[in-house]
Amino acid sequence: MASSSNTLARPLAGPTDSGRARGASADSPTRARYNGLGAVRVAMWSAVAALILVPIASILALAVTGSGWSTLADPDVLEAAGNSLVSAAVSGALAVVVGSALALLLERTDLPGRRALRLLALSPMLMPPFVGAIAWLSLLGPSATVNTFWTQRFGAPLWNLYGGDGVIFLLTLHSYPIAMIIVTAALRRVPADLEQAARIAGSSAPRALWEVTTPLLRPAMLSSFTLIAVSNLADFGIPSIIGLPQRYVTLSTLVYRTLQSGTADDPLAVVSAIGFVLLVIALLGVLVDLLRARTRVELDAQAGAPALLPLGRARVPVGVLTAVAVLAVTVLPLITLAIQSLLPAPGVPLSAETVTLASFERALTASGTLTGIGNSLMLAALAGLICGVLGLGIGTIVTRTRARSNSALLGLSLLPQAIPGLVIAVAWLVIAPRIGLYNTPWLILCAYLTSFLALVVQSVHAPLSATPTTAEEAARISGASRLRALWDISCRMAVPAAISGAILVALTAVRELTLSVLLLSPGSQTLGVVIFNLQQAGAYNASSALSLIVALVGLAGLGLTARTPR
Amino acid sequence: MSSVALESVSLSYPGGHLGLADVDLQIGDGEFVALVGPSGSGKTTLLRTVAGFITPTAGTVRIGDAVVASPGRSVEPERRGLGMVFQQHAVWPHWSVGRNIEYPLRRAGVSRDERRRRVTEALDLVGLAGAERRNPATLSGGQRQRVAIARAIVARPRVLLLDEALSALDEPLRDRLRLELRALTRDLGLTVVHVTHDRSEALALADRVVVLDGGRVQQVGTPAELLEDPASVFVAKFVSDAAILPGSLDAAGFRADGHPLVLDRSRIEGAQHVRDSAVELAVQPEHVRAIPDATGTAIVASSLFGRGGDDLVLEWNGLEVRSRAQGARCAAGTRVCVEIERASVFRRADTDSDAPDTAAGASTTNSGTAGSASARRRTVSVGA
Repeated sequence: MASSSNTLARPLAGPTDSGRARGASADSPTRARYNGLGAVRVAMWSAVAALILVPIASILALAVTGSGWSTLADPDVLEAAGNSLVSAAVSGALAVVVGSALALLLERTDLPGRRALRLLALSPMLMPPFVGAIAWLSLLGPSATVNTFWTQRFGAPLWNLYGGDGVIFLLTLHSYPIAMIIVTAALRRVPADLEQAARIAGSSAPRALWEVTTPLLRPAMLSSFTLIAVSNLADFGIPSIIGLPQRYVTLSTLVYRTLQSGTADDPLAVVSAIGFVLLVIALLGVLVDLLRARTRVELDAQAGAPALLPLGRARVPVGVLTAVAVLAVTVLPLITLAIQSLLPAPGVPLSAETVTLASFERALTASGTLTGIGNSLMLAALAGLICGVLGLGIGTIVTRTRARSNSALLGLSLLPQAIPGLVIAVAWLVIAPRIGLYNTPWLILCAYLTSFLALVVQSVHAPLSATPTTAEEAARISGASRLRALWDISCRMAVPAAISGAILVALTAVRELTLSVLLLSPGSQTLGVVIFNLQQAGAYNASSALSLIVALVGLAGLGLTARTPR
Repeated sequence: MSSVALESVSLSYPGGHLGLADVDLQIGDGEFVALVGPSGSGKTTLLRTVAGFITPTAGTVRIGDAVVASPGRSVEPERRGLGMVFQQHAVWPHWSVGRNIEYPLRRAGVSRDERRRRVTEALDLVGLAGAERRNPATLSGGQRQRVAIARAIVARPRVLLLDEALSALDEPLRDRLRLELRALTRDLGLTVVHVTHDRSEALALADRVVVLDGGRVQQVGTPAELLEDPASVFVAKFVSDAAILPGSLDAAGFRADGHPLVLDRSRIEGAQHVRDSAVELAVQPEHVRAIPDATGTAIVASSLFGRGGDDLVLEWNGLEVRSRAQGARCAAGTRVCVEIERASVFRRADTDSDAPDTAAGASTTNSGTAGSASARRRTVSVGA
């Protein structure tokens, strides 16, 4: 694969190319440059192969040869699969509806307080889903203040969050910001003159928005639906915390139970069969998305800022309504979470005497908490560093060199985004014994790398592919070799993007639960697992306290990184 | 088809900057008017004010007999009965060509059969017959611009607005579409307002050209008037690339300050309108003849090949003068003597030709010697 790139090199590199192709003895510096670039390419390919190809291949191999297929017909498995599919699809659709509506409202109308609302509306994304689940339980759990009050008053709780509807609600809540971001970006790419042309042609401002702009957002809505549905398909935190108490089992909680209880003869074969099915569903989604992408319309460069749609008399009421809704889903659960973490036990009324920091103390001194925090920090830092370096290399090579293998390398490195985390965890479980990483924290690190490499590749790829190749051509003309130009120009340009990508990886990894809980081994528990275990053990106030710390640190950290690159 | 009338239209932005300053403009029924000016001069702002995307802060805009904009009231763009072509064509990518063109008819409530007939007709007019079902993505840039033109004229607009409509096209294609557009608008008798940064395009297409600077109308006139009778130093400089020389005027003629140029009064017109002795002389490249002469005082600094004659930059005792005389060919570095066939003279403004940013008190910084602004022009050709 390395050699194929060289023969396809740009005309500028003509003499060196032919020299190498003929195998003639070119002067040594030329050969060295050549091998340099080839070596980098080979290194990147090996990393991608080890981190992505091998796990996927091994899960496929075990699924095909293994004995797990019979269990797929098990009614429990079928029910869990149904629950997974329904919760993922419904929450995906709802998230797209909510996210698109918010994007239109906050981007294209004269709603008061748009800027503040936009930031607030994005905040659920900054919280790990399982922390969100714990926070919402403190608001709408069966013994939470709202529901106990309602029960006393009307004889039944207002809404018990436990169960399938709660799972769908929380999945929607945690994924609508993704749809909002994608749709907003698409909205900003729609040239303003398209709507102006519609106005001139006789359509009113709302009609122009509806008939011209909204149809152009359809591809963005579809791809955000795919992305959200795939990631919700295998979320572990929300269904295990909200769904399990009501026996609402999804595939991810089923896999967890199978692995933990050891009731199955060959648990790995069973879960790899489940993983295979999930993989196929996810890849089908990607395929549909890719096929749609072919028919995607082409838009010209932005021309002028679009006019805002005046809401007229509805401006203030709509603004108040939006603000109340956004505040209710973002700030309210944080407040109740804070209250719960300040109380000694659930159900204790809040008063000056009952407020205590005991929950924080208990949470932080509980066995394993500090180990968990230490493990998480170490794993996250390593994952950020390694993903940053690999992502920078892959992103630069695929955007700035010409080779037939580039699109394969890029596609492969982005593929894990479309693979549910559950499948990645199972894949590494399958490989672990063979590479001697079984029962070590390094297994979790490997899974992090597989899952999060795409984050850096993407953040490097986007800005680099927008820069014209003349940047390097100028360096070549000025006397830099190919690898030199790539290093001096492209890599340098991409470093800030790689760093912010790496920070994003570290921040995501430090609060991760799905991968860590499935790959758990003695002494390797992570922060997410600690909180999850406290919650499972019924130490709700302690888990709330720790969740609050994670939520606030996460909000602050991600808020800071979101600001710096711009 | 309608006339357009702007009466003392001004647009002041919150910061106090003036987008348009007291613009008066009458565009007759069926007239083709081009708006030109340097970037930031307000030509696009003026067009968008007529379109209704911008509401002026003072003055009224009329289309036909109806007032479409007056302080505090503005008819929405969709109710003004206009057609508009944008620089980036703005063809809606999610609809076929036919659907794009019929959209204005749909909005106007035209019946389906009538719509089909008129779309066919419009496509015929722009030379894209039979393209109804095509996807805009499969069209070339020029074809998309034709679709945009068809869409703009299909509903028989009262006024057709062209916002740099040809600027995004390649040169030969632009040239052809320019010819077709002129023929089309003339055949249909359309009132057209055309914004362009291409001065020769404005001169070629328009019945009348409006020169704008700093949000103010500097001159309105036919292309010939603009060339022969510029209203100000700015217009002479912007439209004709004239060289400007400060100097003094007396009974004998013009004498440049710090420069050997002396011009006989018979070659200067506008002199009778200028009472002060401190003046500025505007010399258009077309009226400068460079005659190769080893003892000449000027040297050709650069020479660009032109179809009718070379486009020269002359270095003449520290002064840079352009020359574009018919049939003259001269290589760079040649020593020449300069002959000026005619020139126009203007009262000297001490402040530069920059836009007066503050609308009020425009006269305070000007030269003390009074002289009404309108009394500082007139050029008459003098035989060489």
